[in-house]
This record gives sequence, C-alpha cells and structure tokens, in this order.
Amino acid sequence: MKIMVPVKRVVDYNVKVRVKSDNTGVELANVKMSMNPFDEIAVEEAIRLKEAGKAEEIVVVSVGPKLAQETIRTGLAMGADRGILVEHDGETEPLAVAKTLKAIVTEENPDIVLLGKQAIDGDNNQTGQMLAQLLGWPQGTFASEVAPEDGSLSVTREIDGGLETVKLNLPAVVTTDLRLNEPRYASLPNIMKAKRKPIDMKTPADYGVDMGTRLTVLKVEEPPQREAGIMVESVEDLVSKLKEKGVI
Amino acid sequence: MLDQRHIDAFTDMLGAKGTTIDQEAIYPHVREWRDKFIGKAPILLMPSSTEDVRNIVRYCDEHHIAIVPQGGNTGLVGGGIAGLEGRNEVILSTKRLNKHISVDAEDFSVTVDAGVTVSAIQSAAAEHGLLFPLSLASEGSCTAGGIVSTNAGGVHVIRYGTTRALTLGLEAVLPNGEVFSDLSSLRKDNTGYALNQLLIGAEGTLGVITRITFKLYPAEMQKHTFWLGVNTPQDALSLFSSARTASGDRVSVFEILPHTGLEFVLEHIEGTQNPLDTACNWYVLMEVATSAADKLLTESMDDWVAKAFEQGLIKDGAVAQSETQTSAFWKLRESMSEAQKYVGGSIKHDISVPVSKIPAFIEEATALLAEHFPSCRPTPFGHLGDGNLHFNVMQPEGADKAEYLANWEEMNRLIHDLTIKYGGSISAEHGIGTLKREELARTKSNTALSMMKAIKQAIDPKGIMNPGSLF
Ligand SMILES: Cc1cc2nc3c(=O)[nH]c(=O)nc-3n(C[C@H](O)[C@H](O)[C@H](O)COP(=O)(O)OP(=O)(O)OC[C@H]3O[C@@H](n4cnc5c(N)ncnc54)[C@H](O)[C@@H]3O)c2cc1C
Repeated sequence: MKIMVPVKRVVDYNVKVRVKSDNTGVELANVKMSMNPFDEIAVEEAIRLKEAGKAEEIVVVSVGPKLAQETIRTGLAMGADRGILVEHDGETEPLAVAKTLKAIVTEENPDIVLLGKQAIDGDNNQTGQMLAQLLGWPQGTFASEVAPEDGSLSVTREIDGGLETVKLNLPAVVTTDLRLNEPRYASLPNIMKAKRKPIDMKTPADYGVDMGTRLTVLKVEEPPQREAGIMVESVEDLVSKLKEKGVI
Repeated sequence: MLDQRHIDAFTDMLGAKGTTIDQEAIYPHVREWRDKFIGKAPILLMPSSTEDVRNIVRYCDEHHIAIVPQGGNTGLVGGGIAGLEGRNEVILSTKRLNKHISVDAEDFSVTVDAGVTVSAIQSAAAEHGLLFPLSLASEGSCTAGGIVSTNAGGVHVIRYGTTRALTLGLEAVLPNGEVFSDLSSLRKDNTGYALNQLLIGAEGTLGVITRITFKLYPAEMQKHTFWLGVNTPQDALSLFSSARTASGDRVSVFEILPHTGLEFVLEHIEGTQNPLDTACNWYVLMEVATSAADKLLTESMDDWVAKAFEQGLIKDGAVAQSETQTSAFWKLRESMSEAQKYVGGSIKHDISVPVSKIPAFIEEATALLAEHFPSCRPTPFGHLGDGNLHFNVMQPEGADKAEYLANWEEMNRLIHDLTIKYGGSISAEHGIGTLKREELARTKSNTALSMMKAIKQAIDPKGIMNPGSLF
C-alpha cells in the first residue's frame, strides 16, 4: 500500500500572529513557520501504518514556497520516504491545492491520501473534501482512529456529540483530527538520513493547474480587545448596573 | 511591633493604596513560595515613585526602622523575607513601581522601573525586534530590581552574561535617603569607582534600586533546539566546546540533566515524555541561535551533528521541529525542581566551578556523597555551559524526609568544601540571603569579608537596609 501525505507550511501554532498595519493580512516576515499540526498527525499515522507492515511507501507532498522543502524534510525526518514540492509563492486556496493533489494522485496512484482536516492558518477545512470529490473517492474526515482491513479502511470520525465509524473502500481520502495520535520527534539519525531522501521539485504548470485565486480578502482585523471592567460596591449596585445595561 | 505613629506617618506619606497593615494581604509577601521561610511584618509599603521611596527611606533612617526591599518574592535564599529571626522590619515592595518601560532601539537599551517583571521587559524588547536575553523559570514574576539585586543568571549566561553584564546603569535610593542616579546607557565610562556595580548583587543591603537601564540584543530570528543523549558529563563538555566553535559562538543554551532527574520528571509531571527512544545516562538541552536570516548556521550545525555522532559523543538526539516541540524539551528541563519535590526531601546546592572541571567535580562529589550519605540520590543538573550546577541530592528511597533533611548543613559543608577545593563558588546565582550567611562567613577569606563589611558600614552605617542578609 502507498500513502500520500499532503503537508502545509504555516505560521507556528505558538506564534502570536499580528495583523499587518494595512489590514491586508497577517505579518509573515520573520515569523517562525512549522508544519501544520494536523498534517504532522497525518505523517505520524502514515508512519505507524508503515511500521505495522500495512504500507510500503509514504510520499509527502506540499504546495507552497521553496522553503516548504523544510516542512517536507520534517516529514522525511519523521520517517516518510520521499517528497514532492509544487513550488508556488502566492496564496494557496483549497480548490487549487485539491486540483494539484488530484494531478499528483493520478501520477502516483496512492491507496490512501492522508491529510490534516484543516490548516491552522486559513482554517478552511476544505482541501480533503474537495480532493475526494474531484477524484470520486470515498472520504473519512476528522479521523480519530484509522484501521486498515482487507481492501478497505475503517475510520472512526469525531462528530458532534460522539463518534461515528465508517468503512471506506480503497483508494480513499482520510483527514485527521487532533486525537488520532501524538506525533513523534524527529531523531538526529533520522534527520541525517532524511537529507539523502529525494524531493522532486515541480511547478503548478507541470500539472496544468491554474493557481489563480478565486476569493478576495477585503480586510483582516484583530479580534476586538476586551474592554476594561468596572468595580461595583455591592450586590445591589451590581443588580442595578446589570438592569441599566438591559442584561437582566 | 511598630509604633502607631510610624504607621500613620507611612499612611500619610503613601496614601491608602501605598500601605497596608492587613495581615492577610501581607502574608504572601512574608512567605517564601516553598514555605522554607515564613516571616512577618507590621506593614507593607508600596511606593509608586522614586520620590515615595526616598520619603520612606528618609523616614526610616531618621527613626531607625529596618527595611526589607522586595520585588517578585521569587528569590531562593530568603533575602526578601521580612521579620525572620524575630527582626522588626517593614517590607518595601516595588510592585507599584512598574509604570515606566522605554526601549531605545538604536541604543540597544531599555530603561525600566524596578518593579517591572522580566517577561514585561522581554515583550517590550520583542516589539522592537530586539531581545532582552535574561531568561529564567521565574520570569513571569521576578522583577528588574530583583534580578539586579541578586545578579540573576538563568539559561542564557553563556552567550549574554549574567544580569551584571546586562546592566548599563541604575538609580537607587541609598540608606540615608539620597538618590544615587547613574542611569546612563554608556558602554564606556572610566570615571572612578564603578559604583553601580556595588548595588548589583547586593541583595538589597546597600539601598533600594528604583530604575535600571539594561542592554538589549538583536532578536534571535533562527533558533535550533536540540535534545541530546550523552554518556558522560565529559562527553557533554566536549560537545559544548565543539558546538561553540562550529556555530560561530552562537550557543545560547547548554543545560545538562541526569537520567535519574529525567525519570523523576517523567513520573511526576503530567504530559511529559522522553524525546528519545533510547535511555541515556545524561541529556543535554542545547540551543544555537542567530539574528541572521541565512541558512549558514543550519548547515554548520548539520555538519557538527554528523561529526559528533561519528565520534560517539552523541548517543541519540532529537531536534525540535516546531515551537510546540521546543516547549516540550524546555518543560523537561524546567520541571526538574518541581518533580524532585514529589520524590521526597532534596538537599540543594547552587555551586559553580571552572567549566572544564565540571566532569571531575560531579564524579568526586558523587563518590563523596555515597561515602557519607549511603543510598542518597545525587541529581546534579543545570547550566553546564557556565560551570553552574544545581547539585541537588535526593533522599534515599523510602527514607524519612525530615530525618534526611536534618543532614542539610552537614551535607552543605561537605559539598561546599569540595567546591572551594575546585576553585568554585558556594552560591553561583541564587545569592546568600539569610540562607547561606554562615557558609559565606566560613568560606570567604577574611580580607574579602572585611572589605564587604567596610562597604556596608560606609553606605549603611545604621544597618537599616535588609539587615538579615549577607552578614
Ligand atoms: C522557579 C524559579 C527559578 C529560578 N531560576 C533562577 C535561575 O535560573 N537563575 C537565577 O539566578 N535565579 C533563579 N531564581 C531565583 C532568582 O534569584 C529570582 O527569581 C530573582 O532574581 C529575584 O527577583 P525578585 O523580583 O523575585 O526578587 P525578590 O525575591 O523579591 O528579592 C530578591 C532579593 O533582592 C532584593 N531586592 C529585590 N528588589 C529590590 C530592589 N528594587 N532594590 C533592592 N533590593 C531588591 C531583596 O531584598 C532580596 O534580597 C529562580 C527562582 C524561581 C522561583
């Protein structure tokens, strides 16, 4: 079995993002970037399947700037086998990425595409679903457990108020949720080995995909600051203030 | 007890916000966080300006009232705790001296009020793309005045020095109520005795520091955090030397932990895991960092790692791939003290020896301890890169905690004597306070002690400034 894991380079989860002063987006200059945490979980799951003897090869794919090579290297250092970078400097909207991934799937013929349920930058939660639709493959989204069976995949999904288990025929698309696993650290020996693993450099044109954006961002703003509170003297005071505000 | 007329005078001077005699409100200020010291005070003074501090000190000078200056109360030697040993002292807290923070980016400096916390200084610097490099586990609470008064160290000393090296100028109210002002940010100034140096590390015994100018550095834009498994402290030391050279002297953190210490953390601190599959005897937490955006540092460190592996100096290791992983490595290091609390009694030493002597020191101290205190569990950890170890010794498994802790002084003397033999210091970064006065007197030369006392006598002849500390 072959697994393809798309990964995205995003602003590190721990960075406090700042809105650009012209409100066109968030500040990306000199900001620490890392692999999207949900994708890290996807890489980990793929490696576990390989370690369990259920998969033979793991291909890590990214659509993004040249520096996304580092993100792919992280995946290779965790234990994936090779990488493909489709170099693109501008915005990467879910539909364009899904189309690119579809083209790669046609070349690579993986049995499973395993990816994060969303990237923590745009929080779109669309790429996996769009890809499944474009390929006409079954999808198991928000997975908290993935168990391969003969020719199929049992996926436990995190849904509102509970869990749902679906059985997918392969090939299939699976998107990961937070509780699926705890990703491993990249060990030094594996980091060194990863340097010798190949990364294919491609462009959207190689796949005939138009990366042009379809969405226009009008304005990006900070969430409203919490207003300073006021001190009240007594319970009566509190009640009358609340009444004044029409809260009670 | 303090005369009511003094209490009234302070209240007149500082207003209702500036004083309290409510013992419940005072309690957190006279209690050391580990309950090692619990003091008392009739009144808590909270000045909000240098002028307020000057009025307080003048009054105290006139009426012979002893003052204990206090910042964040995170000190580890009881130096900021009033009313110990039956002394009658007022607390002067800097918590309201926290308004002023001004960064001068082109001067690479920041001037702050004494009560500003270290994390607030770090954030202010970061907003200008700069770094205030002092970093320690108590940074959310400890203050500018506190770190200067204890000459705090922390984890970045190898690259940026102690607080002394970061302090350019300061303002302080002397025990006679005069304001000594040397707030300049000059890098060069050879005009007689460097008086501000006297107040750095003085632990509040020579005056109340009210404002400080610190040095800043360019922010670290690239940082690589390593968790390395090694066989021996000597291997760790060899790695430290070669990493300094390979990185172009950009090693900013080099901490060592023994396997026993890590086991305590993994067992008692939730959400921790060993980043490595193999258990090693010792672990190193290393950071190399640069303000440059190029990839040169990455490349040099890659070569360094490959070579160190080949030489067998690194047994296993991991590199953080995200800030989440970086924090996870740091959590292991920063939980060392806390985890030991759950294991039982721990007798502590904060020693330094020349960096090159660390391996020999660990070996000799461990053997000595085994001889005198059979089955005790030495857990030395800390700032290997500065030659500073927190040489904590855990009680034998199943031993009675109180019985074990009764050995505190005897064990201290044993370890401190060995430290002196190695040309080391019995208090590398936490200071003397009330905790180590006797050890200071026992281990310092008479010449040094009498110079110190002469300075104290000259600046604080009435002995009103933190009389319980140092001597
Ligand atoms: C979890 C933890 C980790 C720590 N790690 C380190 C570490 O890595 N390295 C290290 O060096 N230290 C460390 N410390 C101890 C360190 O000494 C203190 O954190 C800090 O330096 C004290 O600052 P503070 O504001 O809390 O001062 P306080 O504890 O309030 O006072 C400390 C001393 O300074 C005096 N003082 C305070 N403010 C003034 C002032 N304005 N004028 C005159 N005198 C004053 C007090 O009288 C007292 O003697 C650690 C402490 C904790 C709790």
